[in-house]
Amino acid sequence: MNDNNMKKTVLHAIQIRKSFGVRGNVQQVLKGIDLRVVEGEFVGIMGPSGSGKSTLINVLSTIDQTTEGKILVEDVDISNMKNAELSLFRRNKLGFIFQDYNLLDTLTVKENILLPVSLGKMKKKAAESEFQAIASELGILEIAHKYPYEISGGQRQRTSAARALIHGPSLVFADEPTGALDSKAASSLLGKMEQLNQQRSITIMMVTHDPVASSYCSRVIFLKDGMLYSELYRGSKSRQAFFKDIMNVQAVLGGDHIDTV
Amino acid sequence: MTLFELVIRSMRKNIKNYYLYFFALIFSTTLYYVFAALQHDSSIMTATFADVQFASLFKVSGIVLLLIVVIFMINANSIFLKRRSREIGLYQLIGLTRRAVWLLLIAENILLGIGALLIGIGAGALMSRLFLLILMKLIGIETVINLSFSPTAAVQTAIVFALLIGLTLMQMLIKVYGTSLLALFTAERQGEHPKRPNAAVSAIVGLFSITMITTGYMLSGKEPGQELFLQMLVILASTILGTYLLFRVTIGWLFYSVRRSRNGQLGLKNSLSLAPVMHRMKANANSLTLITVLSAMTLTMVAIAYSLYFSTENESHVMLPYDFIFENKEQDSLAFRTDLEQAGIKFVHHPVDAIRLAGIYGNGENMERSTLLLGAEQLQLIDPELITPRQGEAIWYKGQKKAMGIEQDTVLYPQEVHLGTNGFQSVIRITEGIDRYAVNFNLNGRQLVITEAELHAIRDRMPLTPGQEIILLDTYQIADRNGRAEAASLYDKYAKAYRPTAPDFHSYYQESLQKFGLIIFIAGFLGLIFLIATGSILYFKQMTEAEQEKGVYTILRQLGFSEREIMGGIIRKQLFVFAIPLAIGLVHSSFAVKAASALTLSDIAFPAAMAMAIYTVIYFTFAILTVGYYRRIVRLAL
Ligand SMILES: Nc1ncnc2c1ncn2[C@@H]1O[C@H](COP(=O)(O)OP(=O)(O)OP(=O)(O)O)[C@@H](O)[C@H]1O
Ligand SMILES: [Mg+2]
Repeated sequence: MNDNNMKKTVLHAIQIRKSFGVRGNVQQVLKGIDLRVVEGEFVGIMGPSGSGKSTLINVLSTIDQTTEGKILVEDVDISNMKNAELSLFRRNKLGFIFQDYNLLDTLTVKENILLPVSLGKMKKKAAESEFQAIASELGILEIAHKYPYEISGGQRQRTSAARALIHGPSLVFADEPTGALDSKAASSLLGKMEQLNQQRSITIMMVTHDPVASSYCSRVIFLKDGMLYSELYRGSKSRQAFFKDIMNVQAVLGGDHIDTV
Repeated sequence: MTLFELVIRSMRKNIKNYYLYFFALIFSTTLYYVFAALQHDSSIMTATFADVQFASLFKVSGIVLLLIVVIFMINANSIFLKRRSREIGLYQLIGLTRRAVWLLLIAENILLGIGALLIGIGAGALMSRLFLLILMKLIGIETVINLSFSPTAAVQTAIVFALLIGLTLMQMLIKVYGTSLLALFTAERQGEHPKRPNAAVSAIVGLFSITMITTGYMLSGKEPGQELFLQMLVILASTILGTYLLFRVTIGWLFYSVRRSRNGQLGLKNSLSLAPVMHRMKANANSLTLITVLSAMTLTMVAIAYSLYFSTENESHVMLPYDFIFENKEQDSLAFRTDLEQAGIKFVHHPVDAIRLAGIYGNGENMERSTLLLGAEQLQLIDPELITPRQGEAIWYKGQKKAMGIEQDTVLYPQEVHLGTNGFQSVIRITEGIDRYAVNFNLNGRQLVITEAELHAIRDRMPLTPGQEIILLDTYQIADRNGRAEAASLYDKYAKAYRPTAPDFHSYYQESLQKFGLIIFIAGFLGLIFLIATGSILYFKQMTEAEQEKGVYTILRQLGFSEREIMGGIIRKQLFVFAIPLAIGLVHSSFAVKAASALTLSDIAFPAAMAMAIYTVIYFTFAILTVGYYRRIVRLAL
């Protein structure tokens, strides 16, 4: 799209490949993927189970390493960064929302959320007000002092999202953030993510199986057997119209989860 | 698949868990064998001490050793079982009956037990030589001894360990039959969820726990009265209970307060230390109390034993300032002198005048006490540090600490002593009491040092009756250690008749050295075992926690915390886990040592501190090992 060319590129993946396994039994999971994500995009990644979605998001988010190819985040090549550098990079620039929340059981909601800024340069006051803002946006202010075991799955997922956003990352990765939620909780979380994406222009990449979830995105890419199969831009379409488009591609792709809305 | 195949398979799969348990078994067996071998080796017993006291000391130590081995094994086994909970549940899930699971565990345990027993006894047989050498070195004996393999010790070890294994089998029985499947599957998860403590209750209990501990401390500082045993019991009970409450409530409350004051901004380090420790406070209160009490006991035992050993020479000097003293035995003295000259031993001979008579001490007891009057100037020729009292005054060389319990009412100075009964009276003011002897302790009578002029004046006025005599002390000081040993054998010849009541410095010192050498050996041996047991229990527990927290480290690594930053938090946690019990144990033991120091004449601050420092260093190697284990886990977490 035209207007994307003018915006800043946040993430640029060039011919990335990823193989698992040892000699003799190597399985290539990503087979040369090119991808460019610009600032403020909300990208959905879809595809059949085993197509390499999680693997892709893991290498893009530096949690895993590519076998071949180059990844630039804000024009910085991360493929040959050192371990310590990568850690620092992750902490400052990236946010993660995991499918199974990945909260620390021994910390309260608030402590969990504030964890990413605990070593940073952010002042205590600033961190506190940032927390207040995000927690109230996500509707978890009342449960700030509860432990993860005391709250619902949706609340945990929102806690996880708040933790991903507290330090103002330029890129947020989410792997099936709504996988464990019922449709009401899911749409509430997605609505929040969409809102944050638009208001704060945070770039988001989200893996999902759910066409409804991906209909919140501004772009959806489809993976098949470790390759880019196709991509859809939402443009100015309504969510319902975009949802239909997604369903059509999925029908052709023959993946899973082509259930009813 | 037969049960046996299953056993072998699960053992192979679980080698990491077994390795821990196996080590615990071998370790206990080895040390037990060493102890039993030493205990049964007749050559040691007859060669060194025919004393009944030592035989019973060995017996009591054997029981203490057994006790610690039992505590250690039960702890290790319960950690081991906890780590295998899931596996035990899984067996039941795939259709094995509880009986079959138990049989499986029994089979494993017996296989392990036999292996550990053989290795342990083998290692013990090798180690016992080393320990024997150390013992001989400590008590200053340089004979060649060969400690052969002791079948008696081996059998004793085997019996004890059969019983011990039986005990762990019971533990397994309870685990398999008494735990629900669900509980088995969740056992490995993190412990309780910390509740917001009730501030008022916590404050009261916290205060109470500290009161209990201080009560224990204060009681230990008091001089033991008639009911020494009861007093010790009360001290122990109140200190232990106080410690338990401290861990169970006070520290948890303290942590909670710190955490609340952070208002959510806990920081990485506290998230990795404070938070998980708080989540296990209830479960950990028992083991931390146990470790604290064990550490305190060990520290006290080792510190006192080492202090005694360390101050043996000083103590002997205090008791026997002169190498030899002949009391009114001029003939013997002269012959001894000639012998010394012939043997070429360098010596100093000083005759010292003294008077022995009865005295009534001005403390209201109105009892006649045998008193030995000595002239300061004469003694100063040998001992320049001796102070000359003023005319009409005396310094009492009491040679005992007040805590010995005897004659407590005489500690007020100045006090008057009325000397002489038969036809003459003399009054002297005692201005000071000193905790050492002016001449050898065996000489009859309280040792009062006065000016020589005064001594002569009394001698001139005093009629000689059986209770009032003039005494000539022939004192000998020998220049060097070798000469002293040789002289001691010469002294034997003359002193045959009165030797037991007139010991010489060298023999007395050698005897004390043997006594305290044996005590420090046993204390050190037990201490080492206690230390290794407590250290291992902590290490095992932390290993388990590290495995449980693997997921946390993965999350943190994903969030972008580096290995180094995470390790910072883990080190802080280890500080809590290892340092808090040690610190409390150290404080406990220093009070105990202080109470015990009243029993010796020497200053034991230095040796006690030495012993504590060594203990601390060894203890912290376990903390370092633990940190190493965590580091591996964190490294592999991503
Ligand atoms: N660590 C690994 N070692 C070996 N193979 C792996 C590893 N991780 C993923 N794979 C393989 O890579 C392929 C893609 O896995 P990936 O998790 O990326 O799929 P996915 O698209 O996320 O599927 P799903 O929708 O089920 O989550 C799978 O065939 C999987 O077996
Ligand atoms: Mg996946």
